[in-house]
Amino acid sequence: MNTEQLVLKNVTVNFNGFHALDGLDFSVDKGELRCLIGPNGAGKTTALDIICGKTKVTSGEVDFESKSITSLQEHQIARIGIGRKFQIPSVFQDLTVRENLQVAYSENTSVLSNLFKFGLSKDEEGLNELAEMVNLQEHLDVLAGHLSHGQTQWLEIALLVAQNPKLILMDEPTAGMTRQETHKTAELFLQLKSKHTLVVVEHDMGFVKEIGDVISVMHQGKILAEGTAQEIEQNAAVRDAYLGSGGITNA
Amino acid sequence: MSAVIDEKSKLVINETSKRYSNTKSQIIIYGIVCALIFIVPSFMDNAYLLNKFSTYLIMGMLAMALSLSWGYGGILNLGQAVSFGLGSYCMAMALKLRTVPIHTGAEGLPDFMVWNNVETLPLIWQPFHSLTLAVFLGIAVPVVFAMLVGWFMFKGRITGVYVAIITLAILVVVNLLIIDQQRITGGFNGITDLAQLEVFGFEFDAYSSSAYYLIAIFLTLSLFLALAITKSKTGKILQAVRDHEDRVRYFGYDVSHFQIFVFAVSAGISGLAGMLYTIVMEFASPTFLGVHLSLSIVIWCAVGGRQSLIGAMLGAIFVVGIQGSLSESETFLETWTLVMGFIFVMVVLFLPKGIAGAFESLAARIRQKN
Ligand SMILES: Nc1ncnc2c1ncn2[C@@H]1O[C@H](COP(=O)(O)OP(=O)(O)OP(=O)(O)O)[C@@H](O)[C@H]1O
Ligand SMILES: [Mg+2]
Repeated sequence: MNTEQLVLKNVTVNFNGFHALDGLDFSVDKGELRCLIGPNGAGKTTALDIICGKTKVTSGEVDFESKSITSLQEHQIARIGIGRKFQIPSVFQDLTVRENLQVAYSENTSVLSNLFKFGLSKDEEGLNELAEMVNLQEHLDVLAGHLSHGQTQWLEIALLVAQNPKLILMDEPTAGMTRQETHKTAELFLQLKSKHTLVVVEHDMGFVKEIGDVISVMHQGKILAEGTAQEIEQNAAVRDAYLGSGGITNA
Repeated sequence: MSAVIDEKSKLVINETSKRYSNTKSQIIIYGIVCALIFIVPSFMDNAYLLNKFSTYLIMGMLAMALSLSWGYGGILNLGQAVSFGLGSYCMAMALKLRTVPIHTGAEGLPDFMVWNNVETLPLIWQPFHSLTLAVFLGIAVPVVFAMLVGWFMFKGRITGVYVAIITLAILVVVNLLIIDQQRITGGFNGITDLAQLEVFGFEFDAYSSSAYYLIAIFLTLSLFLALAITKSKTGKILQAVRDHEDRVRYFGYDVSHFQIFVFAVSAGISGLAGMLYTIVMEFASPTFLGVHLSLSIVIWCAVGGRQSLIGAMLGAIFVVGIQGSLSESETFLETWTLVMGFIFVMVVLFLPKGIAGAFESLAARIRQKN
């Protein structure tokens, strides 16, 4: 029985001779919440870039639900159910919060069918609720460029919920958030877990412990270790990898 | 990481951070402006001025079309005049054939062809015997041309300044081609001595209110069409593309389709404007596809406010209007070019969203005070 939803097989990415990914094998089961950690430059962001089509593999293979997505374009990958939150929060700055969310409700992607949609359409009914969930209900008319860093992070998370992909890739979603905000994000993720598969790249070990079942540690473009938080913290190879960056908890 | 307090979190969100897309009040304002345009002839009985004013409206239409692709879609088209010129030549060809053979005689050929020793009407001219077909082509040719160019540019993910350079280059090439193909296009002189447009026995005299109303009607229609597009979800997605093209792809939208769409609609409106221009000018010329006109459109659009359809339109009407009233005097005109350049630089530096944008932030400040 194979429940693996996402499989990366021996993926290599070569940036002008530098191997950002170096024979990466990585797989995630359907419905899982997987945390991906690793020191700076380990290749975590690059791994997510490969999955969502932002970067193409030099060699290797990426499968989603047993189909190869290695050579698909970004929008095709999105359409089969993979969503991405970026390390640098990426929202539409000159659009209001409401408009950002509307764009994210992307069940229908054609030019013509969207041409005849005015105001809130049927598939956008959950918009207000969603804004409430991320505490932006008061700011629906605010231009996204005027939000604080934490609010921007939350807006992008909300965009992903609106998009409703099967697999959500999160790159450092709590960066720049206060403790309280981070805690609230953890709750939100646990809520999402039942409906979506999540891969979360995070530095904050407190956060990782709060949400993660299985943690994968990356180092120098490949997986170094995989296991529970406890197993990872006791792993000698992981400690070595984090040497010099102040230890795993402060990474 | 969580201890890092972002600079931005100190920002206070207030009324000036907001934008209300109040569609109703927008429709009212657009309606009032269009109504004002329609009542102009009732207090202006000078045929010459009315004809001039018609041309201002057409320039307004062009700037509005550019606002759609540039202000909303982020596509800076420096070759907007290509669509305009193609439209104007389509109309000119149809109106030229209507003068044959009554005015020029010679075996059913337009006069300039006779002078160029052309013996039979070129194939490309044949469809223009039918006015309906000509009007259709006046929009379809620019639209199809824009779709082709758009397909190459946007499938190839060409963006920003490269789009500007390519569209400008295409403009120059098309312009040269038209001048070069003298036997078909009339070359430098263009196509002159046209018949008056006549539809169902009704004549649109270039120096009468009928032509003015014709233009006012199409200006209104295309303005509201463009407004509807910007208000639709497709319009929102377009603005998202303008803001952050790459991010849009990760929601599953094929960005190139949206870009090609807005580029083509903008070209269609410009083609229509070109046809109307031929009707009021009573000729078509390679200057209609000139770099000068094409760049002027960009300036009008920027001054009026490229992210406001009506701002761009009024920007063009006022700038061309002032220019038109000064053009009686040579020295003034030269000073005017300088003044225009100065205004443009000032707007780019201090009012990135043009005069319309300045009005919007003023309104937000007033809301904030109350
Ligand atoms: N486009 C690129 N061209 C060249 N090198 C790159 C490129 N993108 C990433 N790299 C390099 O690849 C390595 C892995 O980068 P990546 O961003 O994936 O690391 P990361 O694990 O996400 O690190 P961080 O924790 O700092 O976000 C780094 O050394 C980086 O400098
Ligand atoms: Mg990273």
